Amino acid sequence: MVLSQKLHEAFKGTVERITNPRTVSAFKEKGVLSVNEFVITGDNLVSKCPTWSWESGDPNKRKSYLPSDKQFLITRNVPCLRRVASIQEEYEAAGGEILLDDEDNDGWLATHGQPKDTKGDEEENVPSMETLEISKKNTIQSIPSYFGTKEEDDIPDMEEFEESDNLIETDPATLQATYIVAHEPDDDNILRTRTYDVSITYDKYYQTPRVWLTGYDESRMLLEPELVLEDVSQDHARKTVTIEDHPHLSGKHASVHPCKHAAVMKKLIEPLIAAGLEPQVDKYLFLFLKFVATVIPTIEYDYTMDFDLGSSST
Amino acid sequence: MSGDEKGPVLQFATFQSSVDEGFWHGLSSLKLNKLKTDETPISIMGFYTPCSNPHVSSHLTLLAESLPTEPSDGLPTATTHGNRNKCSVPGTLYNTNTLEGYQSLDKKGLLQAEGKKIWEDIRSGKAEEDSSVLLRFLVVSFADLKKFHFYYSIAFPAVVLDPPATLVDLRPASEWFTLEEAESVSACCNEWRMSSLTADVPFFLVCISSNSNATIRPLKDFKACQHEDQKILFAFYDPYHGPNNPGWPLRNYLAFISARWNINKVQFLCYRENRGFADLGLSLVGEALIQPSQAWQDEEHVPKVIGWELNKERKVSRRVDLSTSMDPTRMVVSAA
Repeated sequence: MVLSQKLHEAFKGTVERITNPRTVSAFKEKGVLSVNEFVITGDNLVSKCPTWSWESGDPNKRKSYLPSDKQFLITRNVPCLRRVASIQEEYEAAGGEILLDDEDNDGWLATHGQPKDTKGDEEENVPSMETLEISKKNTIQSIPSYFGTKEEDDIPDMEEFEESDNLIETDPATLQATYIVAHEPDDDNILRTRTYDVSITYDKYYQTPRVWLTGYDESRMLLEPELVLEDVSQDHARKTVTIEDHPHLSGKHASVHPCKHAAVMKKLIEPLIAAGLEPQVDKYLFLFLKFVATVIPTIEYDYTMDFDLGSSST
Repeated sequence: MSGDEKGPVLQFATFQSSVDEGFWHGLSSLKLNKLKTDETPISIMGFYTPCSNPHVSSHLTLLAESLPTEPSDGLPTATTHGNRNKCSVPGTLYNTNTLEGYQSLDKKGLLQAEGKKIWEDIRSGKAEEDSSVLLRFLVVSFADLKKFHFYYSIAFPAVVLDPPATLVDLRPASEWFTLEEAESVSACCNEWRMSSLTADVPFFLVCISSNSNATIRPLKDFKACQHEDQKILFAFYDPYHGPNNPGWPLRNYLAFISARWNINKVQFLCYRENRGFADLGLSLVGEALIQPSQAWQDEEHVPKVIGWELNKERKVSRRVDLSTSMDPTRMVVSAA
């Protein structure tokens, strides 16, 4: 992690400890949420989109300003059928303009594109049965797609099962090879279906919701956070999406940094007010999630689209 | 296989596990602070939901709260009770002190023993009261707390029907029900899933009266609704998403239905959702034939049990390396 980022985290942590959480509503003026408003809009999200639920998380990490059973929101096992890059490739192949915003010229695009993809394919192309025969002296250093290592030869497998009749492999009533599914693009049968746990926490410093991503590969093994960046729009990867400690869960997770959230939300709310609508704070998260979908376009979490953002009752 | 008249053997899609990083963090601290070198098996909780998306199956998930809380003994706190996205399932964890211990565990015997618990709950009728016991699972693990490597295997014990059940019919529920029935079934399933009393009850009965009106009843009401003039479907939360097979929980469910109520022809509903609501296009209705096993007449008999989950390489053991997130020395390096 960059040092400046570390310093900022420390500063932010100190400010959070010594300031009180926001209690006065200012979401119309500033695009921010008070703690109460976060709970209100969270309740509404859970009731309209029941794949989301409130969680209490690690008791040691509990925030006293939030109800203990409503510390953060989570939706688990959200499919992500393909990588963001493949959408962009398709778009380019169709003659569209190149989406990448390269004006900053900071070089990160080049390292992130093609090389990593080929590596991923190389690894996924290995038919599952043949990997059993890969020698221990595998000189090709491949980055594992999940938190395991590829040289798994030292993992003891159960020899006792080799002659056993208790294996699901030999059971006539077991559907075999469920990892291969029919929804794959093109002619290969490589499974690219990743899944994500998407969570929303309340960021006391920025007074906005904050989105966190935990990725899993197709066999539901944890993805390295670095690989999660493949599912983030390239405009945002490594800029607005960073890898940090989750405030309520264990480990490092990718997160959409909330520093611009209030400004963006204000921009989204302003036209409603201009149109004479009264924006309702319980809809905040729906609007917010719609904006987050531009950052993680292929992660298909649920947020209801057909709703009135404001009420015209004023 | 006698597949001529009775149709093909009914094949079940395997259950898949998903272990959250928090589970390993929790196990590490539990081992350091409480278990120490104690290898006594501990009761844990797994969580699952009906499949809620046409593209992915849901999993049996292990989270930090799957483990018993450290200060007190016994089962994990029941705070998650009634959470529709976390139906709790009882499991047993055997955590060994050494890799050798992990390797030498009698995994076949442990699976059979866990299956025996399911079988006893079927015979005694306990499964009628608490149907989640039909989903019992088993975890064996070794936590290498020096390297932050975790070795583990997970089994979903399933009682093997001998001979296997055969499939007469299987299709999307929306094609099986009339429009009126479908509407009523969706409505009462959504109601069942919305109520905190029933949201996490994974097995239930869908009764459809002659005027197309559907109601949901708990398993223990089976005898009562059997005499009424209505169709009864044996419903369960199906974690699997595919259109051609029911998911794993139906295996023990069929064994239960056959052994407990002596039914040979079972109409079942694989209940699935889309975006959190009943989806009868994704849900399946099927009809299976079960041949009662002669051996089951014997009180002492315990059927064969299978269920060790295989990974991508079709091995049983898995390893997770969490040194990047747990090793203090490595964390210092990455922060520099």
